[in-house]
Amino acid sequence: MRGRGRFVGDIHMPGLREVAFLRSPAAHAKISSKAKSPDHAVDTFFSEDLIGVSPIVTRSSIPGYKVSQYPILATDRVRFVGEPVAMCVAKSRAIAEDLIEQVEIGYDDLPVIASCAGGRRENAELLHPEWGDNLFLETFFDSGVDEVIAKAPISVELEMTCARQTMHPMEGKGVLAWWDDRADQLVVHTSTQVPHMIRAGLAECLGIAQAQIRVAPPDVGGGFGYKCLLQPEEVAVAWLAATFKKPFRWTEDRREHLVAGANARQHEYHVKAYADAQGRLLALDAEVSVDTGAYSVWPFTACLEAAQAGGNLPGPYHLPAYRCRTYSVATNKPPFAPYRGVARPGVCFAMEQVIDAIAQKVGREAWEVRRDNLVPASAMPYTNITNKHYDSGDYPEALVAAKDMIGLEAFRAGAKRDDRGRYLGIGFASFTEQSAHGTKVFASWGLPLVPGFDQAHVKLTPDGALEVAAGIHTIGQGLETTLAQIAHEQTGVPLKHIRVTLGDTATTPFSTGAYASRGIVMSGGAVSRAAEVVAGRIKSIAAHLLQVEPAAVGFAEGRIFAANASVTYEDVGRAWYLRPDQLPETVNTAGLEATEGYKPEVDTGVFSYATHAVRLAVDPETGLVEILDYAIVEDCGRMVNPMIVEGQTYGGAAQGIGTALFEESPYDDNAQPLASTLLDYILPGPTELPTFRIDHRETLSPYSAHGIKGVGEGGAIAPPAAIVNAINDALSPLNATIRQVPASPQRIREAIRRARPSQATESRRDVAR
Amino acid sequence: MKSSAFELKHARTLGEATELLAGADGNAKVLAGGQSLVPMLNLRLARPKLLVDIKRASGFRELAADDKVFSIGAGWTHAEIEDGVLEDPTRGLLRSVAHGIAYRAVRNRGTMGGSLAHADPAADWVSTLAALGAVIVAQGGEEQPKRYAAESFVDGAFSTKLGESEVIAAIEVPRLSADASWAYQKICRKTGEFANAIGVAVLDQKAGIKRVLAGATSGSPALLPETAARLAEAGPGAACEIAAEEIRRVLPNLDIDTQELHAVAVRRALATLGGRQGR
Amino acid sequence: MTQVSMTVNGGGVAADVEPRTLLADFLRSELHLTGTHLGCEQGVCGACTVVLDGRIQRSCITFAADCNGADVTTIEGFDDDPTMQELREAFSECHALQCGFCTPGMLTTARDIVLRLGDIDERALREELSGNLCRCTGYVGIVAAVKKVAAGRKPNVAAAVAPVTVSRFEGSRSRPASLLATNGPVTRSSAAAKAAPIGGSAGGTSIEERVRVAAPPEQVWSILSDLKRVVPCVPGAEITSLDGEDLVGKVRISLGPIKVAFNGQAKVGMDSSKREGWLTGRGRDSGQGSSAAGSARWSVIADGPSASLIAVTLTWKLSGPLAQFNRAGLVQDVVRRLATAFAENLEASITGAAPPRRKTTLGGLGLIWSVIKARLFSRQ
Repeated sequence: MRGRGRFVGDIHMPGLREVAFLRSPAAHAKISSKAKSPDHAVDTFFSEDLIGVSPIVTRSSIPGYKVSQYPILATDRVRFVGEPVAMCVAKSRAIAEDLIEQVEIGYDDLPVIASCAGGRRENAELLHPEWGDNLFLETFFDSGVDEVIAKAPISVELEMTCARQTMHPMEGKGVLAWWDDRADQLVVHTSTQVPHMIRAGLAECLGIAQAQIRVAPPDVGGGFGYKCLLQPEEVAVAWLAATFKKPFRWTEDRREHLVAGANARQHEYHVKAYADAQGRLLALDAEVSVDTGAYSVWPFTACLEAAQAGGNLPGPYHLPAYRCRTYSVATNKPPFAPYRGVARPGVCFAMEQVIDAIAQKVGREAWEVRRDNLVPASAMPYTNITNKHYDSGDYPEALVAAKDMIGLEAFRAGAKRDDRGRYLGIGFASFTEQSAHGTKVFASWGLPLVPGFDQAHVKLTPDGALEVAAGIHTIGQGLETTLAQIAHEQTGVPLKHIRVTLGDTATTPFSTGAYASRGIVMSGGAVSRAAEVVAGRIKSIAAHLLQVEPAAVGFAEGRIFAANASVTYEDVGRAWYLRPDQLPETVNTAGLEATEGYKPEVDTGVFSYATHAVRLAVDPETGLVEILDYAIVEDCGRMVNPMIVEGQTYGGAAQGIGTALFEESPYDDNAQPLASTLLDYILPGPTELPTFRIDHRETLSPYSAHGIKGVGEGGAIAPPAAIVNAINDALSPLNATIRQVPASPQRIREAIRRARPSQATESRRDVAR
Repeated sequence: MKSSAFELKHARTLGEATELLAGADGNAKVLAGGQSLVPMLNLRLARPKLLVDIKRASGFRELAADDKVFSIGAGWTHAEIEDGVLEDPTRGLLRSVAHGIAYRAVRNRGTMGGSLAHADPAADWVSTLAALGAVIVAQGGEEQPKRYAAESFVDGAFSTKLGESEVIAAIEVPRLSADASWAYQKICRKTGEFANAIGVAVLDQKAGIKRVLAGATSGSPALLPETAARLAEAGPGAACEIAAEEIRRVLPNLDIDTQELHAVAVRRALATLGGRQGR
Repeated sequence: MTQVSMTVNGGGVAADVEPRTLLADFLRSELHLTGTHLGCEQGVCGACTVVLDGRIQRSCITFAADCNGADVTTIEGFDDDPTMQELREAFSECHALQCGFCTPGMLTTARDIVLRLGDIDERALREELSGNLCRCTGYVGIVAAVKKVAAGRKPNVAAAVAPVTVSRFEGSRSRPASLLATNGPVTRSSAAAKAAPIGGSAGGTSIEERVRVAAPPEQVWSILSDLKRVVPCVPGAEITSLDGEDLVGKVRISLGPIKVAFNGQAKVGMDSSKREGWLTGRGRDSGQGSSAAGSARWSVIADGPSASLIAVTLTWKLSGPLAQFNRAGLVQDVVRRLATAFAENLEASITGAAPPRRKTTLGGLGLIWSVIKARLFSRQ
C-alpha cells in the first residue's frame, strides 16, 4: 500500500536486457522464410538459435492421449495467432519492440481450424499431422442408460456454450532470469503459482540439472490458474540468461495476454436429461467438447478440462445413470489453461440449466426440483456415479437457506416487471467444489507431475520468533496470514513473531504449488504438522527450564507456562542455540526445527459446496442485465480466517459474473482474435458487481486436518449458472431462453427477438403504423 | 507494448502547430490530452513520425461569449467542463455529458477538441455537439479559421473533415434558453465504456433549436430531422412513434438489431425529455 | 532525447528522455518508483494512476516529455498524507486488497474521491471507482473501505479553480452549410454481402455497394472492361506495375491515426460475357505487421432497357494487430466507405463527372483521377 510490493517488473538489475517476442499474425501457416535484420542479428533469436532447448511436451498416462510438441519459438509452422516466432533483446522494451519489427517472416497460410466442429469435420486439416485427427483425447463413460431412457416419463434436451476467455490477473505473466556466478546457478524470478514445478519444467526443456536452477518468485499480482503453467516465454528467457550469463526479462503486456495468453472456459454441451414426473433425475446423456487450442500446456495436459467436465457434470445430485462422451479438440487458438474452477463453471452452467429445464417441464419451482435431487445429508459420505466421494455437508439445507436469503416467496408474490419495464427473475445454482484432491485423483487424470505430500519447514529462532517456510507460493490469496495462524495455533508463538517464507526453491521444501484450491488444506496441513513437532520440542526444553514434566507445559499469552511459572520463547531459543550447557543430555538433537509432509489420508479431495442465488432485472429493449441481489450460502469446512474465506468467495464470484455477463475472447472464422484491448474485452468493474451477501456453514471434513476444505475457486463456479437461470426466469413471460455465456446484451436481444411470435407479423405491424 | 519512436514538438501557437503539421507530409499527429491517441501509439497501431503538442499553445483555451453563442477553446478538459469551471451554455447538458466520459483520471487530461478530432464514432462529444448544432472552428494555413457544422464534421470512424494541417481551435455552442430541455441517453455495458448507442434530443422553441440524433453508430452520427420536427409539433410521445422508422432510413447499413438499439436510445431520450417538460 | 524537469514527490528531477517514454516508465525505470504499476498501457485498468498537477491522471497514456514543469505525486509520496493514512488503515481492515497490484492506483483514486466528493452514496462511489480494475476482491472490501473514510466528509470540487476569463464573442454568426453525408439519391445502396472465398481459403467479410447509372449495360461495360481504368478506382490503390493479369502495388488505408500501407501482389481479370471483373490480392504492412487478403468484384447488371447497376463487392480478411483492433465494426465502416468510394469512382468514370471530394487517405486518387478523366473525355 506504500508502493513497496516487488513484482517481476519492479526489479532493477545492472545490465538487465528486456525481451520482446515476435508473434505470429497467422492462425495456421507454414513458415516459408525467416530473416533477421543484418544490423541486429546478434540480438534476434529464432528457434534454430536455441541450441539444446526442447519443446514443451506434456505426456499423460491416459490411454489414447495424443502428445503435442509445443515449441519455445516456432520452427516451421505456426498454429495460433500470437505464437512466439522470434525474440529480440535490447536495453529497453521499446527498443526490443523496434527490433521485432525488422524481422521478416514469410507465412504460407494453411486452412484454419477455428472451432470444435471444424476440428472434428471429416478430412479436416490436421494441426499435428502425425495424429491422424485433431483430438487430444476422446473419452467415453457409460453406466448403462438405455433402459432408463426408454422408460423415462420426462426428458429435456439442451445445447449450451461458454465463450472463450482470458484470465487477467492484473499483473500479467513476467519472468526475469540471471546467472548467479557464485552459486553457478540459473536464478529465475517468475510470476508463478508453482515455483517448484517450474524448476522441474525448466530443467527438462533446458537440459540443465534441477540443482542448477533456483526459482525464486517475487510478489505475484494474481494468478487464477494462468500462472501455474510453464510458458514458452519463460523457457526462452531462462535460456538467454543461462546462455549469455546476463539478466534478461520479459513482461507480458495486456495485448499479449488477450491475444496469446492461455485461454479458458470454451466448452460446448449437448445434454439430454431424463426424469420422473416429479423431476427426479433418472439419467443424463451428455456430449462435451472443449476447444482446447493448439498445444497442451504443461503440466496440466490438454485433457484436464474434458476429464473434469465428464467427471463433474452430475454435480451435487443423486444421479442413477450417466453416459458422457468428451472431446478435447485441437484448434488454431492459444492453448487451454486451467482457470479458476477449471471445468466446473462450465459443468455447473450446463447441469443447473438442465435442472431448471426439468423443473419447467414438470411445472415445479426450480429450487424444489433441485432440493429433491441433491444428495441429502443423511447419505454422507456419498460416492456418486463417477466415483466422486462427497465427504460431508448438508447440500439441501444450503439451497433452502439461499432461497430464503434471496426472498423467493415474496418475489413470486410480487410484480414480474419493475417500474422501468424490466423483467425480473431469480436463479439458483448449487455445486460442489472438489478441493485439495490428491495423488490418486491427479494420477487418474494422467498428469505428468502428480502431487503427493506437500511439505513445510518450521523453525524457532534464537530470539524466540518462528520461521515458517513452504514451497507453495502466495498469489494474493492471503496464504501468509492463514499459514501463520495455523503455526500460531500449534506453537503459541504470537502472530507478530511469525515470519512466513514461500515459494523460493532455494529456501523452501517441495510443494507442487498453489492451484486446485489446495493451499490451505495441503500446505496448511504440512505447516500444522511441522509446527506440532516443533511445539513438542519447545515444550520439552521449556519443561526442562521450568523443571517440570513436558506434559505439564502449555502455551498461553505468548509465553510457555507450567502452573504459575513461565518462560519465554526466547528463553527456549537461547537455551538451544546459545546455551546448550543448560540442556539435558536427553534433548532431541533435531533441535527446534522440523520439516514435515502432509496429504489427507483420504485423498479423493474434500468437497466444499454452496448455493448461489441471484435476483436480477433484464431490460428487454437493450438486453442489459442488472444484478439486484446476490446471496451465497457456502460451506468450506472450518474457516481458518473468515475474512479471507469471504475475500476469496467474493473475488471468485466477481470473476464468475465476468464469465456470465461480460468476458469473451471472440475469434473470427480465420481464428483471428478480435479482442486485443480492455475496451473489447470487458472486465467487470465496481458498478457491474453487486454487494454480495454471504452466509457460512461449517461442516468439518472428516478427512483433512482441522476439517478444512478448499475455498479458492468455488466463488467462480456458480455465477454463470445462477445468472443464466435468473435471466431465463425473468424472460419466461416472453418465452425467450438463453443458453450461452456471456449473456451479452446482444445475445439477450437476439433471444427475445427469436421468441417473438414471428418476424413477419412484426414487420407488418410496422408498416401499418 | 511501447510506442514506436517519434519526435515531439511543443507548439506555442495554433498557427505554429499548423505549420509543423503542414511540413510533416501527413506523418504528424496533434497531441492534446492524448487520452485516445496514446493507447493507439502504445499498441503501435498509430505510428506518426511527429507529435505536435498544443496543450500550451496560445489560442487553445480561449472562451468567448455573447447572448447567442458560447465559444469554448478546444483545450478545455472534460473534467473542467464536468466541474463547471467554465459556464455551461446548454444549461447542464455539457456538464452531464462530460461527467459520463470514460473515467475521472482520463477526463482530467482529455480535451473536448481532442475527442472531436479523434472522431471515435462512440465518443460523447461527437454526438452531443452535433445534436446541439455546434460549430467547430479549425485553424488551418489560412488567415481565416475554417468553420464546420458539427453534425457533418465526422465522416466515419476516425475520419473528419479536418485537413491534414488543421487544428481544432474552438467549439461554438449555441446558448440554450431557459425554456430549453435536453436529454442524453447512452447505452453501454459498463461505466466509462464506449457507448453502443446514443440518443440525444434538444428542444428549445425560443432559440429555434429542435434536434434529435442517433449517435455511436459505427460511422458518423445521424440527425433525425423528421423526428425532431414531430417533437416540436406534437411532443415527445409522437416523436417516439416515428423515430425507429427514420433511423432505419438514415442508417440503412446497420443491421436490424443495431437499428433497434439506436431507436431505443432515441426513444428513451425523448421520453426523458417528456418527463423533464412535464415538471 | 528531450530534456524534462519536474517535481516528483516533492523533489526536483531533471532528465533526458526519449519522447516516447511513458511517464509511468520514467517513474519506474529512471526514478525507481515502482509503486506505479503498468496493468494495461491502454488507459483502462487504472493501476498507473498518479496525481499530476493536483489531478489524478493515467501515467501509462502520458509521456514524460509532455510533463515538463509538472508536479507529480506517486503512491510513494503519500507517507505524510493524513487522508492516505486513513485509507491505508481502512484498506487493511476491510480486506480491500489481495494481490496488491491494483492497490496503489486504487488508493490514489480513492483519495481523490474522498477529498473531492466527500460522502457520496454507494452507487456514485462505485461509478467514481470504475476507472480502476481489481481482479481479486470483487470490490467488496474496497467499496467498504472508501465509504468508511469518506463518511461525514464534505465535497471540495472547485477548490483549486482559478477565475476564468470570457471575452466577447466576435466570430461569425452564420452557420456553415451542413454537408451531410447522407446516402443521397435512392440510386445507391450498400449491404453486407455473403462472404466470398478469397484465394482458396474461406472466411472474410464482404460489403456490397450498388450504383445506378443511366446508360445501357453494354455501354457501361465497354468502359469498365478497361482494367487500367478500373483498378485506380479502388480507393488508395497505387499501381507499381500491371503486366497482363499480374498487378504489383500498394493500398493505403487510413483509420484516423492508424495508417497502413499494404504492399503486395494481385491478380486482376474479367469475364466480358458476364460483364464482371475482379481483383484478388494480398499485402502486408511492414510497420505494424498486419496483413490483408482481399478482393474487389465489379459487375454490370441491366436495370431496365436504358439503365444499369454497377455492383461492387469488397471482401477482406485481415490478420495481425489491425484485425485484432475491431471495436464495434470500425473496420467494417472503413471498408464500407471504401466500397462507396469505389462505386462512386466507377460511376464517375462512366459519367465523366469528377468524383466527389475524397481525402488522400481514402482516395489517393488525385493524380490518377486526372489521368482517367483525360482518357475518358477523349473517348467520349
